[in-house]
Amino acid sequence: MSITLDQVTKRYQGLPVVNDVSLEIGDGEFFVLLGPSGSGKSTLLRAIAGLTGVDHGRIALHGRDVTHVSARRRGVGLVFQNYALFRHMTVADNIEFALRVRRVRAAERRRRRSELLRLVALEGMDHRLPLQLSGGQQQRVAVARALAHQPEVLLLDEPFGALDAKIREELRRTIRQVQRELGITTVLVTHDQEEAFALADRIGVMNLGRLLEIGRPHELYTRPATRFVATFLGAANLILGRQSHDGIHFGRTAMNAANAGAAAVAHGARTHEVVTVVRPEEVEIAATREALVSGYLAQGTVQEVLFTGVLERARVRVAAELDASLSSGTADGSGLLEVTRPQHEQRAFQILPGQTVAIGVRRIHILPTPLSSFTTCASSESLADALAQEPLLAQLAGRMKTRIGIRIEPRLGMPDALAGNAADFSGTTVIAANPDAAIQLQWLLQRGAQEVLILPQRASAPQRVVIHWADEAVRRATLAVAASILRHVSAEAIYIGILPDQTSRAQRPHGMRALLDARSEAQAVHGLEMRTELRFGDASQELARQLAESPGQMLILGLGSTSRLTERFGSLFAMNPSPLLVVHREHEAAGAGALSRAAT
Amino acid sequence: MSTLHAPSVLPGFGLTFGFTTFFLSAIVLIPLAALVLMVASMHWAEFVRVILSPRALAAYRLSFGASVLAASINLVFGFVIAWTLVRYEFPGRKLIDALIDMPFALPTAVSGIALTSVFAQNGWIGRYLQPLGIKVAYTWIGVTVALTLIGLPFAVRTLQPALLEVQRDLEDAAETLGAGRFYVFRRIILPTVLPALLTGFTLAFARAVGEYGSVIFIAGNLPMKTEITPLLIVIHLEEFDYRGAAALGFVMLVISFAVLLMINLLQAWGRRRLIARTR
Repeated sequence: MSITLDQVTKRYQGLPVVNDVSLEIGDGEFFVLLGPSGSGKSTLLRAIAGLTGVDHGRIALHGRDVTHVSARRRGVGLVFQNYALFRHMTVADNIEFALRVRRVRAAERRRRRSELLRLVALEGMDHRLPLQLSGGQQQRVAVARALAHQPEVLLLDEPFGALDAKIREELRRTIRQVQRELGITTVLVTHDQEEAFALADRIGVMNLGRLLEIGRPHELYTRPATRFVATFLGAANLILGRQSHDGIHFGRTAMNAANAGAAAVAHGARTHEVVTVVRPEEVEIAATREALVSGYLAQGTVQEVLFTGVLERARVRVAAELDASLSSGTADGSGLLEVTRPQHEQRAFQILPGQTVAIGVRRIHILPTPLSSFTTCASSESLADALAQEPLLAQLAGRMKTRIGIRIEPRLGMPDALAGNAADFSGTTVIAANPDAAIQLQWLLQRGAQEVLILPQRASAPQRVVIHWADEAVRRATLAVAASILRHVSAEAIYIGILPDQTSRAQRPHGMRALLDARSEAQAVHGLEMRTELRFGDASQELARQLAESPGQMLILGLGSTSRLTERFGSLFAMNPSPLLVVHREHEAAGAGALSRAAT
Repeated sequence: MSTLHAPSVLPGFGLTFGFTTFFLSAIVLIPLAALVLMVASMHWAEFVRVILSPRALAAYRLSFGASVLAASINLVFGFVIAWTLVRYEFPGRKLIDALIDMPFALPTAVSGIALTSVFAQNGWIGRYLQPLGIKVAYTWIGVTVALTLIGLPFAVRTLQPALLEVQRDLEDAAETLGAGRFYVFRRIILPTVLPALLTGFTLAFARAVGEYGSVIFIAGNLPMKTEITPLLIVIHLEEFDYRGAAALGFVMLVISFAVLLMINLLQAWGRRRLIARTR
């Protein structure tokens, strides 16, 4: 491996800018770190270069641990967005800088310089000053300069940021060519997904300091695992659907998804809400349902048609039956589907704004995220509305690009017969923190709710997410929910394992093992780093004590069984000042429980 | 002709040029001309006797020597201060930044008296220097200290904007290319701020040569030892020897002008060299 990052964390004023990033980059690979501004990608690059120290973790270059080696001894070449050329030196002096520092002989320097100038197609420019060159030429000089000392790794920090589109394209080609010719391991940082696709062997997508997903460009585009990656890598329609054993249902229509099988396994056999990704180019438009080649989704009305040369971009408002389940990747309008059509489709069927059309979908990808949408639930409309306005909830939903629904349950928490349809509670149900929260929670769980968020008033975004599960059987589901939350808030994760006080000495090692298992699963399955702590005592009291320690915490609690819920956790739910997300899996609990018993 | 009618922000070239000449004449040229005129009325032998008297020569040596020394000190420490203020964020930075200007605003006599009381043999600092055999007040060292104090803001204020222009990225780039700190300083930072360094030196030097108020308190004013030229001029004036005073003033004028012209030419040469390489 050329570059190995192991749990690298960098904090700035206490907040993690780079959060537990582990990554391996192979020899000669062109790796692109992609993310919005402030995602920590540049900081990570500077950490690899040695210009920024790390607070935690290890960095190795070609197997050599360089975590505490200064930038000048790391043997990397770095190219900056603003070129950072030495303006009082000629092109030749700039390129030879690293060689002069190393006291290389003049003849050798000259040889190397002309070789590099040929490589970046700037022959004969030796004696110009940087200010006499165009932006593109200056950046070529910067690339040549960074390569002069034959570094093992080339790092590029938004190298095309200051250039216009045409020059950018040209320079992009040059850099790819240089990289291939030298076979040098390269890491490029950018916020431009098109650039990433054009250059990368592999892409790592970063957001809020975390490395969310790594993969080949095509892989990431067609099969993203997270909402963020789905929407950041090009336009995406996110549609909420219901998945059952026979397929995906959107409103009244059902269809098969490409990866329906995998997602079903992840969630157990019950019908549940899922987030699906439909790329604009996978949407088909026809005059009637019969004329569609692909699976029918809904009827719709064309809102807007834009001609952009090769492609036509349209927005189609879907009919009411699907409207509620649409949470568009473009935040500006829900109920609108983005569609792009190539020339031949435009010729075959022309559309105009206002026209009614049938919408079909060629390919659906189901995101394996357990958190689909939020529904606030209260006994009156005003309470449910107020809950939907809570800043933390609005922030979470905004970052997840999902909707917040409202549901009024006048008999919430009241002891009556289980009349409602269990499947009715989909996504995450949100209730306000109150003394009766435990009773309401039990009421909801008995009616099929799988994730319930108990939200105190004006809760702030958590800086620490505390994870605990009361039953080993809900470990997987709890971890998946925790990972999903942690992708959308910039917080550290801590898992707390709790053993009863009277645990015998002989059994204590089991507690430790469970802790280590939890940690390795979080890392392996979700790429999630978490601290772990083992405590002894009553689970409810221990968790309450942890939450009382400092503000800005959130608890994710996995529950396998709802029996004696109020006795076990009543006090925790009643007086807890932090947001609390309960993950409940009854069916899975039975199955996985049997499995773990078989294993031991 | 076109330059005379080129539009500009200020009204009319004629008016502004007229004002410039008038202003310069009234406050710079005419008084200086009067000085030269006064000197011209002297006999040659008398002129030579006054300006080459041992006492005068000692005064020149002290005035220009201490000024060059003070400007050099300001160059080094002004650079350090400017660097600190530009590069680091620390509590009290704004306060220190404001303090730099104090010598501008303080009446020079006040700073002179303050320095004397601090550096005198029983002063706060002087009493600790005394056992080491260092006497500051009433020696040439005291003169240099006073001149350093009043020249400091000139050095710092000219260097600050220049240092702001040295981007961090340049240093980072040099570091990844393998350069050590000293190498980066010598090859990257210094060349970039060199013009500002020269300007800062010039200003601090010019200010020091003309300084009178703060020095006379700390110098002790012993003839041949700690007597600066401006003081010698005042002594001549007090003896109603206007011509002698004018002669000494004339010498200062010539030397100062020569030094400033030299530095300006040096800077112009540096600029031209850069432009020539740009062509």
